[in-house]
Amino acid sequence: MHSVAAIDMGRRSLSRVLMRVIALPMAFGLFAMVSPWLPDYALEIGFRVFLLITLAEAWNLMAGYGGLVSLGTAAFFGIGAYAFTASMNHTGAPIALALLLAGGSAALVALIVAPAVFRLRGLYFTVGTLALAEATRLFMVNSTAFGGAKGLLLAQDPPGPRELYLIALSLLAVATLFMTLVTGTRFSILLRAVRDDEDAATQIGVRPFRVKLGAFSLACFLTGMAGGLQGLKLGIVEPYGMLGLQWTINVLAIVIIGGQGLRAGAVVGTVFVVAMGELLADWPALHLALSGVILIAAIRFAPQGLVGLWLRAWSSK
Amino acid sequence: MFDATVVTNSLASGLLLGGMLALTALGLSITLGAMRLVNLAHGELLVGGAYLGYGLMRAAAIDPLIGLPLVGCTMGLLALPLHRAVLTPLADKGMEAQMLTMFGVAVVLNNLYLLGFSADTRALDTWYAARAAHLGPVTVPVIYLLGFAVALLIVGLCHLLLTRTRFGRELRAASSDADAARTLGMDVSRVHALAFALGAACAAMGGVLIGMAFSFNPASGGGHLLNSFTVVVLGGIGNIFGTLIAGLVLGVVQSLGAVVFGDGYRDLVGLLLFFIALALRPQRIAATGSR
Repeated sequence: MHSVAAIDMGRRSLSRVLMRVIALPMAFGLFAMVSPWLPDYALEIGFRVFLLITLAEAWNLMAGYGGLVSLGTAAFFGIGAYAFTASMNHTGAPIALALLLAGGSAALVALIVAPAVFRLRGLYFTVGTLALAEATRLFMVNSTAFGGAKGLLLAQDPPGPRELYLIALSLLAVATLFMTLVTGTRFSILLRAVRDDEDAATQIGVRPFRVKLGAFSLACFLTGMAGGLQGLKLGIVEPYGMLGLQWTINVLAIVIIGGQGLRAGAVVGTVFVVAMGELLADWPALHLALSGVILIAAIRFAPQGLVGLWLRAWSSK
Repeated sequence: MFDATVVTNSLASGLLLGGMLALTALGLSITLGAMRLVNLAHGELLVGGAYLGYGLMRAAAIDPLIGLPLVGCTMGLLALPLHRAVLTPLADKGMEAQMLTMFGVAVVLNNLYLLGFSADTRALDTWYAARAAHLGPVTVPVIYLLGFAVALLIVGLCHLLLTRTRFGRELRAASSDADAARTLGMDVSRVHALAFALGAACAAMGGVLIGMAFSFNPASGGGHLLNSFTVVVLGGIGNIFGTLIAGLVLGVVQSLGAVVFGDGYRDLVGLLLFFIALALRPQRIAATGSR
């Protein structure tokens, strides 16, 4: 069954690869070129959309392709933000290098906790990552080295909205490149094999621990870079904002509303969630409550999200 | 290094607190064991119980301890339509869909509490709660003793319910093999609904006790969920005696952590215990964790 799916994927992927090689870079170029004419509000929204798509792509890699449903997004996002701010303040590293360090720190933490959380198959991974997020937050609140509840201030002024927009766009380009490489290669088939039946995959020679570790650490790397970027934008990292559950909720809502395991799902879901966030900007609690309701409805009525609904309508025509 | 009375007092309060932790964890354990449901809204149900107790106390001047059975029944009755609305339709969609749905429920409840009751931290204050009880050399707040006794009583009643009644027999049958139970003519979905209600009732009553001993706010559910999970992983799923012992262990470890590192580290030490438990007892989890 797996091999049939693989052949099928191989045939379809030729036109997809062409589309990705030509259409995606054009889209990125277009978004970059229009930036001088965009008003601040559009730049702000663009920044948020690019950041959240990056986070959603990373989450989708774990959950949609690998069956690793993580509730630890906030932990890796926050770790990235702290690592970014600390390295900017103490080493004077350029932004790009500090962002790489942020992603690297998050991936390192992922590697360290992996043996513990992967022992737990399936749903216990979810609870393990949730516990990790809470532990990270409590640690940062209590530790004096990272500024406790007050957090860390970025020593230099954050760049302007246009520069932030372009950095976020570049980050998304990096994430898209990674995702295209990963989902277009053998690795994604291994990952899906592990997701669908870990025991069967082991029987045919797949090493589940390595495959899961690869997906987990790459996703955490991207999440950490996104966290570093948010730290750059705000100019301050503190445990309640950066390590708050709202990041996890948003990402989960985006992927489930957009469509799990579908590349376009992250984009569609982000546009939906950001639009809803803008409409309800003055009522954050109501916004989150509604996200929860939509999440519940999507799981029940559209398990493949909006993109899945659209695909089904398209194929039945 | 540490004052001996401080250590013995906190050991004693940790032990007593552990009884309350065991009661709340029992709620999570029942739903996990009977329905294979990772109830991520467990903490919110617990906080909901505390708000119910608060409402009873404010509106009808009912002492939270007297109102405890009422809170348990109310939460159980509220849980039934919730189960019907969000979980029953997903019965054959696998564990992940149900778990994420409960995460959605947690997010909704959390923010509804925030909208309805504001972010203020509240406590179920009673005239006797803060008084000191002297047990030989040890001094603990009276509410810890009362909470421990009541929690123990409820855990004992649950034990009787699960081992001595028809419902308990059906629930155990459904948890060990749902398909076989269905073949034998049992209404498994009814058993699941009742198990969910029982779990919610335990969580809510534990929430009242914790609300009397400490304080609560809309956001405190997450920490309680993880505490309960630690107890369940340590004690084993569906094992009442194990849950009780594990609750006491967690209570003592948290209190010791608070003495050694400072009060802010109480929950962090508990989470460390959780990770250690996960690393050391994988077989316990693998047995029920696989699909």
